Amino acid sequence: MALPMSSEPDVVIRVRNLAKAYRLYDSPQDWLKQAVLGSYRTYYKAFWALKDVSFELRRGESLGILGRNGCGKSTLLQIVCGITRPTKGELWVNGRVAPILALGATFDLEATGRENVLIGGAVLGLKRAEILSKLEAIADFAGIGDFIDQPIRTYSSGMRMRLAFAICVHVEAEILIVDEAFAVGDAVFQRKCMDWIDRFRDNGTLLFVSHSPTEVIRLCRRAIWIEDGRIREQGNPASVVRSYTKAALHEEENMQRFSANA
Amino acid sequence: MPPLHIVDGQEVVTGNRGMLARAGRFLGEPFVSAWHHRDLIAAILRRELRERFKGSVAGWVWAVFTPLLSLATYTFVFNGAVNLPNNAAASSPIDYALFVFGGLVAFNFFTEMAYRAPSLLHEYAHYIKQTMFPAEMLPVISTLRATTYASIALVLMLICQFAFSGSLHWTVLLLPLWFIPFLAFLIGLTWLLSAMGAFTRDTGYLMMTITPVLMFATPVFFSHETLSPGVKLLMYANPLTGFIEIVRDIVVFGHLPKLVVSAWTLLLSASMFWFGYWFFRGHRDGIADVI
Repeated sequence: MALPMSSEPDVVIRVRNLAKAYRLYDSPQDWLKQAVLGSYRTYYKAFWALKDVSFELRRGESLGILGRNGCGKSTLLQIVCGITRPTKGELWVNGRVAPILALGATFDLEATGRENVLIGGAVLGLKRAEILSKLEAIADFAGIGDFIDQPIRTYSSGMRMRLAFAICVHVEAEILIVDEAFAVGDAVFQRKCMDWIDRFRDNGTLLFVSHSPTEVIRLCRRAIWIEDGRIREQGNPASVVRSYTKAALHEEENMQRFSANA
Repeated sequence: MPPLHIVDGQEVVTGNRGMLARAGRFLGEPFVSAWHHRDLIAAILRRELRERFKGSVAGWVWAVFTPLLSLATYTFVFNGAVNLPNNAAASSPIDYALFVFGGLVAFNFFTEMAYRAPSLLHEYAHYIKQTMFPAEMLPVISTLRATTYASIALVLMLICQFAFSGSLHWTVLLLPLWFIPFLAFLIGLTWLLSAMGAFTRDTGYLMMTITPVLMFATPVFFSHETLSPGVKLLMYANPLTGFIEIVRDIVVFGHLPKLVVSAWTLLLSASMFWFGYWFFRGHRDGIADVI
């Protein structure tokens, strides 16, 4: 199984014929049967969340991912982050990944902002000394001031989100994965995040998932549209977005027609 | 950081693929991973320790007071017993209490992990599902947390021993050699139980059912040395028997543990450690999907 390493040194993410199956069990007993007798028979139903996706990303590139709910976007991002493993195909990721998937997933409401920054940074792979040296900058970016020494439960949801984003900003990741993180937060902070992502793109690699076509066009140089676990269209963001919105509109019309007939 | 490279669900390992090299890599893997994640382990451990007594006024006082009270109770109950359960003569009134307490320190350490392990990964589900969190380090972290309480109890035991007999046996210097294999045994057990617990809640119920029963199959309040030879041998199938015998030997009696018992106990704990790791590693991919 000695596959050649990537020929171009610049490639940071390479995904080839990637597929992911989740095992669905009807009952816990089936799980036990699978664990014991798995080599003789299969006791689960396979659900293929991702069927066949291939792309390559070089340093400094940005890729937008479009697709409806349940098309396999999140699974793809989780695979690239290393949270879950692909069932088939090849995955190659070279560089520190900072996923802004679930902002503040590691937050402990009873602990202070400072303690949470230490844990959040450690989860993202930073050394304690590195985090300590960046604490001030993180609090500054988040704009939470003296609240850094207050328990997170006293924060507003906007403040939590800003703190979480500020941590991601300071991990000095090579690959940034953004999954509709800007749904919360005020316009000023969204602006700040967008500006930062703009600057990040100069050296870093960006994987951007959004329902907002305008953001994809603005931030990405390439886009893929995933439907039912496969790439339906890829290329220039403007043209992919056009086909995607057209298909969405078409579907909506169909739906209205069918419901009118019913 | 090495690149993440997975082909058809298998991580691509660069370097020697010979049997020996692979076995060596497997045996070293838990240590390499722990070293790599040392700052993360420390950060989570710090939080866990703080959380333990969150919202309590006395805080750490409980950690000292609880074992102290049980020591006092045993001293009171067994006051003046002339012979210890293994028919050795007691040299001070507190000897009997220390004898029982030594067994209890080990058994409580085990109980804490047995009860917590099955739900451990559920506790950290949001970490495992949403961040690149090394789930295999959670059993290490939780065992280290339990270690602090076991250490407090051990230190109390040594203090009482010193206070009542005026000296400590030189063999207490061997305590680290007892502690490390015990830690390895419990980490391995936690790997196994937590991975099983991620898939089915029955693991938790199972442990809640068998742990109290196990207490009577473990020489905590009695000594296996007075049992008939056949039953005594059978007792050693329980890894805790060896650990309890050794801690009594080096703390209470002040003589070296039997070589056969030490070797057997060491073998059991090493097997548990790597078997647990092997089991956890084999199911790691499934864990993030089912939790």
